Amino acid sequence: MRQPSDTTTTAKRSTIRRSPWHLPWKLGLGGAVLALLLAACSSSTPSASSPTSSSAKPTITLVTNSWEGSLANNVVAQYVIEHDLHYPVKLLDLSEIPAWPATAQGKVSAVMEVWGHYKHYQTYVVGNHEVINAGLEGPMGSIGWYVPTYLMKEHPSLATWKGVKKDWSLFVTPQSAPQGQFLDGSPSYVTNDAALVKNLGINLKVIYAGSEAAQLTEIETAYKARKPIIFYWYTPQYINAVYHFSEVQLPPFTSKCAALPASQINCAYPPYYLYKIMNSHLPKTAPAVANFIKRFNWTSADQDSVAYAMAVKKESQTAAAAAFVKSHQSLVQSWLSGPFTKVRAPIVGT
Amino acid sequence: MTVAIGNETTLEEAEQLGVDRPASPRGTGGPSVRQTLAKPWVGLVVLAAGAVVSAILTGVKGGFPAGWVPGSISAFSSLGTWITAHQSSAPFFTDVLAPIGTGLNAMVSGVSTFLGWLTWPGLILLGAFSGLAAGRWKTAIFLVVAIAAFGLLGLWADSMSTLSLMTVAVGISVVIGVPLGIVAAFSRHFEQLLRPVLDLMQMLPAYAYLVPIVILFSIGNPGGVVATVIYATPPIIRLTLLGIRTVPDDVIEAGKSFGSNRWQLLRKVQLPMALRMILLGVNQVIMMALSVVVIASLIGTGGLGDPVLQALNIVNVGDAFTAGTVIVLMAMVLDRVVSAFGERADPAHRTSKGMPVRRRRELIAAGFALVVVTALVAKLGFSATNFPTAWSFSVAGPLNTGLGWLQHHLYHYASVPIVGGTSNLSAFVTLEILNPLTRIAGDMPWWLAVFGTAALGYIIGGWRRALLVGICVTGIGLLGVWNDSAATLAQVLVALVMCIIVGLPLGVAAYWWDPVEKALRPVLDVLQTMPAFVYLIPVVLFFSVGNMAGVTASFVYALAPAVRLTNLGLRRVPRDMVEAGTSFGSTRLQLLRKVELPAARPAIVLAINQTILLVLAEVIVAGLVGAGGLGYDVVVGLERDEFGLGLAAGLAIVVLGVVLDRLTQGREQRRPARAA
Repeated sequence: MRQPSDTTTTAKRSTIRRSPWHLPWKLGLGGAVLALLLAACSSSTPSASSPTSSSAKPTITLVTNSWEGSLANNVVAQYVIEHDLHYPVKLLDLSEIPAWPATAQGKVSAVMEVWGHYKHYQTYVVGNHEVINAGLEGPMGSIGWYVPTYLMKEHPSLATWKGVKKDWSLFVTPQSAPQGQFLDGSPSYVTNDAALVKNLGINLKVIYAGSEAAQLTEIETAYKARKPIIFYWYTPQYINAVYHFSEVQLPPFTSKCAALPASQINCAYPPYYLYKIMNSHLPKTAPAVANFIKRFNWTSADQDSVAYAMAVKKESQTAAAAAFVKSHQSLVQSWLSGPFTKVRAPIVGT
Repeated sequence: MTVAIGNETTLEEAEQLGVDRPASPRGTGGPSVRQTLAKPWVGLVVLAAGAVVSAILTGVKGGFPAGWVPGSISAFSSLGTWITAHQSSAPFFTDVLAPIGTGLNAMVSGVSTFLGWLTWPGLILLGAFSGLAAGRWKTAIFLVVAIAAFGLLGLWADSMSTLSLMTVAVGISVVIGVPLGIVAAFSRHFEQLLRPVLDLMQMLPAYAYLVPIVILFSIGNPGGVVATVIYATPPIIRLTLLGIRTVPDDVIEAGKSFGSNRWQLLRKVQLPMALRMILLGVNQVIMMALSVVVIASLIGTGGLGDPVLQALNIVNVGDAFTAGTVIVLMAMVLDRVVSAFGERADPAHRTSKGMPVRRRRELIAAGFALVVVTALVAKLGFSATNFPTAWSFSVAGPLNTGLGWLQHHLYHYASVPIVGGTSNLSAFVTLEILNPLTRIAGDMPWWLAVFGTAALGYIIGGWRRALLVGICVTGIGLLGVWNDSAATLAQVLVALVMCIIVGLPLGVAAYWWDPVEKALRPVLDVLQTMPAFVYLIPVVLFFSVGNMAGVTASFVYALAPAVRLTNLGLRRVPRDMVEAGTSFGSTRLQLLRKVELPAARPAIVLAINQTILLVLAEVIVAGLVGAGGLGYDVVVGLERDEFGLGLAAGLAIVVLGVVLDRLTQGREQRRPARAA
């Protein structure tokens, strides 16, 4: 179908070829290409040579998980690694589960806060040694049942699970009706709540918010209206400095109860010894950083203060980290030359 | 020139293929047994008998018999474990997949380096000249504003890494998709083989396979590109196939009479004629690729998904919305650039532009040189790779304040006259509609569900469809997620009804009044491209954690095709039909009811079909706001490393999609290419 027009297009082309604009057009294009190539060379030579000359200093990649405390650890660690150890640092947003294979493959240098993950610990630390346990981080992770403090004041019996068992009807919502609602959060966090309400005989239905953002939004809405709500929550968490929550006592945790199958658990959550992990090659490729990570250790209050500065006071990551480092000189010094933190493996059920 | 117009062509296609239909031998007479079976009552009696026999054999108990579930979930889980165990030893993984991952990473870094050279003034200028080269001032201005907005909103660096990843992913999708589409266009067998694969790629939520992708291709760019390509390639395959198939026969005959061989025919006739469809495919690939930006961030690709996720961690809707807006703008930028160059390549448009070829060439050369000079000056003179942070501003504060105000005034029971607050509405829908529907669907005895849907399929599409639907429903039971599927089904149905109640009138309004259509168009574009993660918090603010929040999120996302296709269907009603109606003295409403709506029925049926599929695509987000169901299972699969549960639920979503798709397609209509 294009045949008839072929002659006309060649005719057009030949007029272009003869045009006086022909030369400048081509020259301009050629010049432009040349200039781009030059730009490529000039800008790529220094950047290509600089990593090779400082190949002793690889980029350190730290994983940021979906809770703000994880980011708080990382911005402070980044600040110290960059300012005192002079390694470039990159923070990478990643889910908890993919973080394990990524650390094993060396795509990630370290994770500064790990909650439990007994199964992955067995695979990658105990099993194929691709990941190293870099010791405890300091804060104890604590999971439990919480209600807003205003509610606890109104109903002091809610201080224990027995009070919840009696007053379950406070918590009825359309979603859980005719039962009361117990609000769980992100599916990535370990929860026994469905088993707990069943085994303790409490007339609550566990509703899974599906994400921490949704759970927190729901808690805030109830909090602002001073309405009853009961939910799964944890420390360290900066939001505990914004809202006042009170913990509901569950039957005490025992190792005997922890050994039960998941569906039969009837006691409080185990304490979580939060720990750090790193790629097994890090001590060779960046020994100073590996030692820093093994020494890094602080408290829940430290972490909350940095997270609070970023999330609530809207400070930039660098500003929040710098402020913390400036006011905690001796602590930071201990991360550079102090003893390594204690190593403790996660227990079954975490 | 608008974003995400794919749905319109699906209608075109449905019609064209419908015309094609009578020629196929399948519809014409068959053996007499078949004719007997084709009598509707015979089929229904057979199916009813099947139901009764099954009921007698397995009892009338509700739900799916637990004993029949063959442990699919644990089988899938062991597959996941096997991959983990062998990723560093099996030759296929180390010698084939690992180098692919390295190559992908190199490509993304290459584009990223190039964007670094170009610098921000260079990129803005390049945008301007892409618009001008197509001879469109408005496009040029839009591109300048939109690209500058990446920096002005403070997200230049994140935008560049997303742009690099998108360029590579879209490029690969096109390079893979067009040849596959061509092959499928010439081979019915290949096409039949390909179709279920494409359905699977498009409907299986990316969440369900993120962990294996990380293990095989590692986190970051390689995994991100692979996940994006899997999700974004199907539309271009479908539309290439369609474009080539729908080249009119007489044109091909003409080509043959000139003595073209098959290859010449393809290159000189069929591909140029199909170019429009292929370009539409590219447009759809871009839209779909950008819709997985946030999910890709879960596996460490960085880019614009990060600010969205970080904003969610601290419940900051304003920040999430800002990043979401940049994603929408990027989709529009890429779309405009592709269509600008596409129109130049389109033979139908080439001569119609006023500008002579020579002047345009000069302009392009000058523009290109200017871009290079700008980049050089900016790079060497000002080292301006990154947009100056001092120029950027944040709209998050006012947005959050506004949203807080809205919640305060709309949420609580007494705040809105007559209907009550949004929490009231949510409670009503949950208690009176969603909960009972979920219960009915979940407690329905399996034989009633299987034979009932099969009967529906039989009425709509005969034996073949009855068989397919029956097998699919049984499959959901065998996957071991019967009750969660019931919850999801209830939500899908309610969201669908909401879309119809709101979408059809809006479509009619857009048909009646052009200004409404104009005003709606950008809104619908944004609804379809804004990442759903952004409105995760707002839906909870207004409707509380639960299935109503999930339904609302799905409704928002799926509204666009309902409005668009209704409008389009009405606009395509032949003028003489409408005029005849007018001459009988019908009022506008009568005309609509008696003439236009019946004539637009195929389009409306297609609208419903598309809406269902989009609602299903949104099931994951429903899982993130407490709606439970299959979406929550898939999220758990990723977040708690329960690969088996995630994959089973993901497959159930696909199967549910197939069932609803087949039950809402008209009798004669062939599968439309799902482009949305």
